[in-house]
Amino acid sequence: MVELDHVGFSYRGRGGITVAVVDVSLRVARGATVAFVGPSGCGKSTLLRLVAGLLRATAGVVTVDGRRVEAPLKNVGMAFQNPVLLPWRTVLGNVLLPFEILDAHRDGDAADRHAQADRAQELLRTVGLGGLAGKHPRELSGGMRQRVSLCRALVHEPELLLLDEPFAALDAFTREEMWELHQTLRQTREFTGVLVTHDLREAVFLTDTIYVMATNPGRIAHVHQVGLGFPRRLADCESAPATALIHAMREQIRQAH
Amino acid sequence: MSRGTLRALVLPTVAFLALLVVWEAVVALLGVQQIVLPRPTAVAVTLVDKAGPIAFHARYTLATTLIGFGAAVGSGLLLGFAIGASVTVHEALYPLLVGFNSIPKAAVVPLLVMWFGIGAVPAVLTAFLLAFFPVAVNVALGLATLEAELRDVLRALGASRWQIFVKVGVPRTMPMFFASLKVAISSAFVGSVISETVASNAGIGYLMAVAASDFNTRLAFAGLFVLAAMGVALYGIFAAVERRLTAWAYAD
Repeated sequence: MVELDHVGFSYRGRGGITVAVVDVSLRVARGATVAFVGPSGCGKSTLLRLVAGLLRATAGVVTVDGRRVEAPLKNVGMAFQNPVLLPWRTVLGNVLLPFEILDAHRDGDAADRHAQADRAQELLRTVGLGGLAGKHPRELSGGMRQRVSLCRALVHEPELLLLDEPFAALDAFTREEMWELHQTLRQTREFTGVLVTHDLREAVFLTDTIYVMATNPGRIAHVHQVGLGFPRRLADCESAPATALIHAMREQIRQAH
Repeated sequence: MSRGTLRALVLPTVAFLALLVVWEAVVALLGVQQIVLPRPTAVAVTLVDKAGPIAFHARYTLATTLIGFGAAVGSGLLLGFAIGASVTVHEALYPLLVGFNSIPKAAVVPLLVMWFGIGAVPAVLTAFLLAFFPVAVNVALGLATLEAELRDVLRALGASRWQIFVKVGVPRTMPMFFASLKVAISSAFVGSVISETVASNAGIGYLMAVAASDFNTRLAFAGLFVLAAMGVALYGIFAAVERRLTAWAYAD
């Protein structure tokens, strides 16, 4: 579904031309989720933005669903480390935001709006926020805000979900809860996912393929298939093959510096 | 009314009354001449005796202040939106705005009088010139500090620049806009009075200028008290408006 063919991105900055990523080629099958891991400055987030069309590749071709990406895609779900909710809106109002932007939903009638609200409520129940639709973001904890942010990214049932270190700011327990939540969501709705993370266990638990990146210039150095079936349990991340994979990747990232 | 707010009202009132008592006592004990520093009670008597003319001049000052303020809010909002929404407009106009704001506005009053004559117009324009800047800068700042992640979330849904502006830019700028109103109304008030003092035939500023030239210290102080009361009231009204309309921005 997502295909990068010898993709590169460079930009002109104060110190001349900076090469952010170079010669990245990969394919993400429909319904699969992949992770980009690597040291800071290896161009992980740049790759994510290239896939979304928020940046335009300066070399090579990015294709999504067979179409070349030359402008921001529509109908993509994104979530970041910072949940960036709208503080003046309720939880429900935040989750409904995509419907107000998307062409297919924007001019709906009362019945459509009702259906959208139902869908948002159902999603909020799935992530354990069923009773909090009328609250404002300031009344929620960090983990709850991040759940709302995930709901906003998924409510319009996007085919592509892009996550940029979405759980990095959460405490360890909440983070693991969010991993399981992600897995639940992945089983109930079909989407293709790209995850950027620093957390190798997270990458192993959540994804099918992991790309280990190196810096100067940012590039893919190693590819690993995660050989675990679904559904996964947290204990699976501590199994011998998973631990071996995590150790191998940690060594590769250390050498990539 | 909660105990906290009651305390916040009572304590400054007590302090103010104590100041008046000390003032009264010092003037009486040291035998200060009334033409130098009148007693507060004497000022109060003047306030009552001259209530009619004082009220007329106060209304005049209030009117010029509010007209200048209204114009400043409208155009400050528009210019702030333009500067905040477009990098090009920001680079072109923001330095001019800062440079313009560094001119002491009192220096502009003689020019205004030259063009528009003595009267309400220079007062309104001076109020406008002082109140304009805080509104424009706050609105521009509110728009320019939109989180990059939020912009990406919206753009990845296919949002146009206009949609981002309307759905997110404008609402999140409102707290800064309302915060600028209480600064702007105080600035407008200062502008009106400066202009009235120099070139007007009505308004509290004019009243005080005339009182001073007559060595009528009591009346000058009466005018000063009225100005203080008006300034506090105007600031208080817009501070209350701000708190009511943007509760979400201050809850944390």
